[in-house]
Amino acid sequence: MSSPFDQIIINETGEQIEETDLSLLETLDHVLNRGLVIAGEITISVADIDLIFLGLNVLLSSVETANEVLRRREAETK
Amino acid sequence: MKLYAYCLTEGIDELTDDLAGVAGATVRLLKLEGFSLLVSDFADEIVPLTRDNALNHAAVVRSLLDRTTPLPFRFATLVTESELRSYLATRRDALQAKLELVRGCVEMSVKIIWDREWTEKPVRAAIVEEKPGTAFLSEKRREILGSETRAAEAKKIASWLEDRVRETVREARINTNPTDKLMLAVAHLVERGSVGEYQARLKAARSERPELHFLVSGPWAPYSFANIDLEYTSRFGVS
Repeated sequence: MSSPFDQIIINETGEQIEETDLSLLETLDHVLNRGLVIAGEITISVADIDLIFLGLNVLLSSVETANEVLRRREAETK
Repeated sequence: MKLYAYCLTEGIDELTDDLAGVAGATVRLLKLEGFSLLVSDFADEIVPLTRDNALNHAAVVRSLLDRTTPLPFRFATLVTESELRSYLATRRDALQAKLELVRGCVEMSVKIIWDREWTEKPVRAAIVEEKPGTAFLSEKRREILGSETRAAEAKKIASWLEDRVRETVREARINTNPTDKLMLAVAHLVERGSVGEYQARLKAARSERPELHFLVSGPWAPYSFANIDLEYTSRFGVS
């Protein structure tokens, strides 16, 4: 799949965000937050994605979604 | 056994490539109620949100983008064939209207990120010597003023951006301040033949405002233009 990006940005600490990470973040933003929904529940388990979010202090709404998942996880394990 | 649904479209009678979907399952074409759908079999009740699964979902949807404009389903949409048939039958008019809206188009995504200086400026500017008794209320006031200033600035930037690209955009979804770090998240529905001009206009706009940090991506399938109703709940499990 070709890259959908035409610009690379830097994060708050001045590091350049790798294009592959950006690609994943933007993909998550699209596939998790948007699209047709059939009435009912969507149940997702978070596996390896959260490590990427924790490693990058960025920017997209899907990050907020992931952070919410992590907060719940922390609350459940206390 | 449930079906994992990727996207819905019309006028597709066969797949040209073998596609690996979520959990590595083979993607197949399903014709139901006059629509063409990409689905794969899924044995479990919960879809793991892994890097591969997310990227495979997007890749399957994207695989049709050269031939048509599909309406994507949200990640982790699991249904039985009878549920899917019922959904298509009861939402037929709305789905056909959506397909009509997006026909011949792709989605382009523009995000503008708050600069750190911008985020702190309203607070720094308002700092004055205060007695301890007034500090709390003053801080609250600064928060409110800062929030209002940011909201006004985001609206101004949104309006500026729309002015620059309007002639190449069929429809837009504009979200100001969707998160603390994002000033603006915009999805533009752009006709395929206008993508080049849209990108040129966007590039010119970016050079007009070098102080703004952009994240521009696309073309995507029209994820932001696919919702037809909101009657759903989502639940996140933890693996």
